[in-house]
Amino acid sequence: MKWRAAFGAAALVLLPEAAQAHLVITGMGPVYDGMLHFGLSPEDYLPIVVLAFFSGLRGSSAARMALGGLVVGWLAGGLVAMYVTSVSPELTSVATAMLFLVLGGLLASNFAVSARAVGVAGALLGLVRGLADLAGTAFSVPHTLTLIGMTASGFVVFSLAASLTLPLKRAWLIVAARVSGSWLAALGLLLLGWIVRYGPIVG
Amino acid sequence: MKRWLAAFSVWLAVLFGGPAFAHEVRPAYLEITQTAPKAYTVIWKLPTMGDVAIHLDPRISNGWLGREPADQYAAAGFLIRTWKITDKRKDPIFGQTITIGGLPDTMTDVYFRVRLLDGRQIDAILRPEQPSYTITSEGRGAFAVPTFLLLGIEHILTGPDHLLFVLGLLLIVRSIRALVKTVSAFTVAHSITLALASFGLITLPIPLLNALIALSILFLAPEVIRAQRGGDSLTIRYPWVVAFAFGLLHGMGFASGLTSLSLDRGALVSALLLFNIGVEIGQLAFIALILGLIRAFRLMEISWPRPLANAPTYAIGILGAFWTMQYTAMLFGVI
Repeated sequence: MKWRAAFGAAALVLLPEAAQAHLVITGMGPVYDGMLHFGLSPEDYLPIVVLAFFSGLRGSSAARMALGGLVVGWLAGGLVAMYVTSVSPELTSVATAMLFLVLGGLLASNFAVSARAVGVAGALLGLVRGLADLAGTAFSVPHTLTLIGMTASGFVVFSLAASLTLPLKRAWLIVAARVSGSWLAALGLLLLGWIVRYGPIVG
Repeated sequence: MKRWLAAFSVWLAVLFGGPAFAHEVRPAYLEITQTAPKAYTVIWKLPTMGDVAIHLDPRISNGWLGREPADQYAAAGFLIRTWKITDKRKDPIFGQTITIGGLPDTMTDVYFRVRLLDGRQIDAILRPEQPSYTITSEGRGAFAVPTFLLLGIEHILTGPDHLLFVLGLLLIVRSIRALVKTVSAFTVAHSITLALASFGLITLPIPLLNALIALSILFLAPEVIRAQRGGDSLTIRYPWVVAFAFGLLHGMGFASGLTSLSLDRGALVSALLLFNIGVEIGQLAFIALILGLIRAFRLMEISWPRPLANAPTYAIGILGAFWTMQYTAMLFGVI
C-alpha cells in the first residue's frame, strides 16, 4: 500500500512533464545533464563526501539515516524549487557555507551524535542543495529528470564515500578521514568570510 | 506486487520510451573533398533508424550547403546527401565556419573532415556543446589519441542497452572467478565483432542489430530472477557462454561509433584499438561502480524492500521487452 502511494506521488510528478520530445531526440539528456551538473559542482559533492565520511564513522545506522535523509531532502528541495517557490540564491549560498562549516566541524571533531541527528543533517544538506541547484540558472528548463540525475549522483557518491569509512578501525586512518572535515570547515569559514566582506555568492 | 510491477513498467516506458532511444548516439559525418583546383564534393551522412532521423542541419558560412544537393539517398543506417561545388575563389574553405543546426539538442557528435588536393587533411569533431568550427589552414589532427579513447568511453557510458546487459550479467554471476570469466568473454567477443564490423567485413541492418541487442537484454531478465531464486540454467552455470554469444552482437553495436567515420585502413587500426580500450575503460568503470555500490549497501546493512531490491531486474526485463518490440516493429516497418 505504501509503495503504491509512493509510486502514485512519483508518477504525478514525473508523468505530466512535457519531456517526451526532448527524450526522443537526446536519449538520456536531462538525466545526464543532472549528473554532469553534480560532477561539476564541488558545492554539491564536497559536503556529501564529508557527510558520508562522518556518518560512516558513526556506524551503519547513521549512514543509512543520512543516505535516506539526503535523498528525500534533495528531491524535496528540488521539487519545491521547481514547482512551489524559488528560494533566493543569496539565502542558499549562506546556508551552503554554514553547512560546510557545520558538517566539516562534525567530521573534524568526530562529534558523537545520534544516528537520527545525522539523518537530519543529511536531509538539511539535501534540501539546501536541491533548492539551490534547481532554482539556479544552470538549466534553462529545470526538469524532474535532471533532479533525478543529480539525486542519483548524490546517492552514489554518498554510498561509495560512506563505504570507505564504515570499516575503518585503525586510528590513523580515522584521523586521515577527519582531516577532510577540517578542510571543509575551513572552506565554510572562507565562504562565510567572503559573504560578510563582499556579499552572497550568486550564480 | 503485480500492480506495482505494472505501474513500474508504465513508468519506465514513459521515461525511456521513444523511437530512437536505445543508444542512438551514432555520429553524423560531414566531409569536404577537393576534387580539382576549383571543384569540391561535400558529403553529409546523417544516422537514421528506419524512417527516423535526428534533425541536424549542416551549414557552411560560404553558403555551399544552401543549395539543393546533387544527390540524396538512404544507405544502411544513414541518409546521405552530396553536393558538387564549383567555386572559383582562392581558398574558399579557409576562414569559413561550419555550424550544425540542431546539434545542441542532441547527444550526437559530428565528425568533420576536409581533404585537399595537396594532401592536407583537416579533422574536427563538433559536439552539442560546441556545434561550430572555423576552418583554418593550421587546423588538423583532431582525431588524436584522446579523441578515440574518449569516444569509446562515451559510447558505452551513454549506452543504456549495453550497460543494462552488463548489469544483468553482474546480477547472475556468483563468484569473483565467474565474474572475471564472464567479463573477459564479453570483452573478447565484442572486440572481435567490433573489429570485423569496423573493417566492413560483417554488417547487419541497424534495426535488426538493435532488436537483437534488445533481445539479449530481455533474455537476461528471467535468468537473473531464476538465479536470485536459487534456480539453475545454462546461463547461471556458464554465464561466460552467454556473455560471449551476445557480446558478438554488442560489438557490432559498438562499431556504429566508428563506421560512420570514413577512416582509411591505416588510421582505422589505431582508432579501433583506442576506441576499444575506451569501451573497456568505460565498462570496467561501470562494473567497479556497481560492485562498489553492492559493497556499500552491505556495509551500511541496508535491507531493501522487496520491490526496490527487484527493481534493477525488472528494469532490465521491462526495457529489454520494450526495446525488442520497438525495434522489431521498426524492422518490419510497423512504426
